[in-house]
Amino acid sequence: MTDRDHIVDRLADYAVGALRGREKARVETHLAECAICRRELAALQRTGELLNAVSLEPAPPETWDAVRERIGDLRRASAPARPRFAWGLAMGIAAVLIVALGIFLQRPTSIGEPLLVVAVEADDEMQATIEGHLSTMWAAPLADEAAVGLRLAEWENDG
Amino acid sequence: MKSYAISFVLLSIVFAGPGLADSTPWQAVWGSETATDKITMTGRANVMTVNDGRSLSATAAVTAARGKIRFDYQASKRRWSLIDDGTHLIQLHPDRKTALLLARPTLAVDRTLAERNYLARETAEEIVAGRRARIIEIAPREGGPPVYRLWLDRETRFALKRERHNVDGRLTSGTEYTAVQFGPAIAPEVFAVPQGWVTKQPVDREAKLSLSQLGARLGFAIRSPKYVPPGYVLLGGYEQEWGRHRLRMAELRYTDGLRVLSIFQRERTGDEGSGRHGGRGRQHGRDRGEDDRDRGRGGGLGFGPPGREEMTLVDRGTEKALRYFSRDTAVVVVGDLTAEEIVRIAKSVD
Repeated sequence: MTDRDHIVDRLADYAVGALRGREKARVETHLAECAICRRELAALQRTGELLNAVSLEPAPPETWDAVRERIGDLRRASAPARPRFAWGLAMGIAAVLIVALGIFLQRPTSIGEPLLVVAVEADDEMQATIEGHLSTMWAAPLADEAAVGLRLAEWENDG
Repeated sequence: MKSYAISFVLLSIVFAGPGLADSTPWQAVWGSETATDKITMTGRANVMTVNDGRSLSATAAVTAARGKIRFDYQASKRRWSLIDDGTHLIQLHPDRKTALLLARPTLAVDRTLAERNYLARETAEEIVAGRRARIIEIAPREGGPPVYRLWLDRETRFALKRERHNVDGRLTSGTEYTAVQFGPAIAPEVFAVPQGWVTKQPVDREAKLSLSQLGARLGFAIRSPKYVPPGYVLLGGYEQEWGRHRLRMAELRYTDGLRVLSIFQRERTGDEGSGRHGGRGRQHGRDRGEDDRDRGRGGGLGFGPPGREEMTLVDRGTEKALRYFSRDTAVVVVGDLTAEEIVRIAKSVD
């Protein structure tokens, strides 16, 4: 199976139940055969769960005031000369500001705090630390050695 | 006199043999840890675990004797073996005739710590692999879902079935015996690398060090976290070297008696953590070039502008890992913890 055969671009829609009929059936048929895409889907679903668990912070009141003030400034500045153009410009800027505000609201941490990124896959360093932690778990009290061994073998197989 | 002797024998039988069933839940649990130190055992088990969000399963033929244990796994068309001989973990790959030796990790965990932080209670009895088993559930004293459910053989205390749940209450691993035999003769060679196989030597990763010793070896100051979750205590510091890039890191290892929390630290280099890990992370790791891998496989859903500090969280199902770039170090926290706790720990290292 080549990269082009995978259906990664359809998985996000599938994960949120946005696919219907033939398209949905095509994705499900592919998933039944493709471990890579199943893994990708599982990662997407896990990411979705994590993002759902993150609480949104309300925007500070001054943010709204700044939006209103900025729109007001634009109206006052351009209204006498070209009302139709000014209205369109204001609407455009307002739309941009609303989008920016939306992005701001989606951020799990406030400005000045580190940005929390939910990764779909671990990079080399994080994978190595998880693997190291896993081998430690072999010796943890009550460890399910059979299950830990299964994971250790999977790591080596992946590597 | 004769009647005293008979009474003594009867009492001995009650308290020494079947009396195992009368032990407290914790006594039975700790007894399961050393069950195969005194007896030999062979059996077959169904094993499942979660790895990287996927469920893995296999059957395993299990052989145990004198504190050593061997698992011969079969999953689909793959076969491999894993031996714990008390000193090393040995992975045997029959197709390549190769044995990979890892230093067996040791964790000197005080059992009273687990008993302080968790409650063990007996809930019922079931038949597993044709044997009577006590079901013992172990849950945090402060509340929350059980971490373990154990089905312990009434006679030997051997764990015939075992389930582990993560901090979110999801089942992350399970082993259930379908057949078991106690007391068979087992040859010592079962736990050794077969003659003529290629052996890869172990790397000693388990030298316990103080913070100052670690700092001297790695060339930067190792910081202790100002916060670890209630009930966790420090087990020790270790020097580690992992991954394709042979990253040298310090590991501070903590435990609450059952769960283990690892905090890794290394020196921060260049512009790490300044938003360059952003990206969708949608490509498959094996299909991508070296540069992409170096930038962080996955990266995630971040949209951080350049210069913005990042925390990267990965949820494996079994545990979570979070990397945080503090002023001059990269910190990776790995453990079975909630996202909020893991963020709090990482930030407290700053």
